[in-house]
Amino acid sequence: MEGIGINLPLLLAFLVNFIILFVLLSIVLYRPVLRMLDERQARIREAMEQAEQIKQQAARSEDEIRAQIEKARQEGQAIIAQAALMGEKLTEEARESARKESEAIIAKARAEIQQERDRVIEELRHEFADIAVMAAEKVIRETLDKEKHRRLIEETLKESPLLNK
Amino acid sequence: MNTGPGCSVRILAWIAIILLVFLAIGFAVGPIGSKLLGIQAPNFLSVPKPHVQLPAEGIIHINRMLVITNTLLASWLTVIVLVVLFAFCTRRMKLVPDRLQNFAELIVESLLNFIQGAAGEKNARTLFPIVATIFLYVITNAYMALLPFFGTIGIKEAGDTFVPLFRSANTDINVPLSIAIMSFIFVEYWGLKSLGVLRYLNSFFNLGQLREGITNLFKGKIRPAITGIAFGFINLFVGFLEVFSHFIRIISFTFRLFGNMTAGEILLLVVCFLVPFIATIPFYGLELLIGFIQALIFAGLTLVFGIIALTPHTEGEHS
Repeated sequence: MEGIGINLPLLLAFLVNFIILFVLLSIVLYRPVLRMLDERQARIREAMEQAEQIKQQAARSEDEIRAQIEKARQEGQAIIAQAALMGEKLTEEARESARKESEAIIAKARAEIQQERDRVIEELRHEFADIAVMAAEKVIRETLDKEKHRRLIEETLKESPLLNK
Repeated sequence: MNTGPGCSVRILAWIAIILLVFLAIGFAVGPIGSKLLGIQAPNFLSVPKPHVQLPAEGIIHINRMLVITNTLLASWLTVIVLVVLFAFCTRRMKLVPDRLQNFAELIVESLLNFIQGAAGEKNARTLFPIVATIFLYVITNAYMALLPFFGTIGIKEAGDTFVPLFRSANTDINVPLSIAIMSFIFVEYWGLKSLGVLRYLNSFFNLGQLREGITNLFKGKIRPAITGIAFGFINLFVGFLEVFSHFIRIISFTFRLFGNMTAGEILLLVVCFLVPFIATIPFYGLELLIGFIQALIFAGLTLVFGIIALTPHTEGEHS
């Protein structure tokens, strides 16, 4: 044993040396690095899970948005259709009311014309009566009774078919 | 002109020529060349004759028993280098590692992967510290021994014997022996912890058949008694062999590392003596490889023994 150098105190020294190295490396190397590796692994796993979640969420919200757009499009179409319908109805109404108004105006105008004509006829009748009276006066130069005359003429005029409406 | 990456061909050729010249000078001044050419090398070029000494030489003699040897100094140096280096690397641990932290993580992670590959996720954390320490200690001892100041700087003792200040720690038999003892202690500790004392002993000594034979003897059944007792004794013998094999591991661990490292050192010394220049470079490469392999073997065998100790083996309990 001496020949190859086995020596008890030296062996003990090396054992202590190894234990010291073991303990120090555990403190200085293994523990912090392993903790860091574990932490990083956990972080990466977490991040990947999160990414997966986000991906799913994005897909879901994309679907949602597409559905919403589809719905909005349909709604818009419906609104347009309704608006067109309403516009048509409005124009129809406007046309109707314009027609009615014009009719009313025409009717009123017609009534006014009628009235005017009646009035004119009346006036004419008076004129004619006066003229006829004056003419008769001139012709006979004698005024019998103005009132009597007038009545006579009036009767005559009433009998005439021309001035009777 | 060669404008490609790296050196140009001309520079490479010059380097080759210089190396060859040095090799030739080395060969000429070495003992073989001197004898063949009949020239005497100048004194400053002659390398002293290598002398092989297995026990480590003492540097400081405290008393007759307590001697600080050059290998002990080397192993302290190894401890200091490893601890300071990794303390520096892991000083500020960050989630995004810088270069030094990356280096420490690379080492830890590759060792952990190696251990996990063999032991599985659960046992790897138990086995890791001791296996990694063995690996780092052995490989650092081996690689430090290749540094120029190992075996060259020293003191002249009485009687004109040269004692180098540092010598490869692995070439002192006490170092492999101490690591082997630590490995043995941890393997047995893991076995005891995972199985419990009785079951651990039972994994060596399978006494079931012996007990059966003895009960048969008392019952008066001679034939099964004889076979039971015979197989029982065989099992007992096998158990002793098993225990013995555990102690043999220490010796095989010790001499494998000690032999390889000592042989490597002697090889380097002899080559350096024969051809002082250049020729040693391939052997240095070889020593790098051997240092790595020996560290891997020491750590790997400890790992395997540890796995065997940790996994409950059910064979031998079926009787």
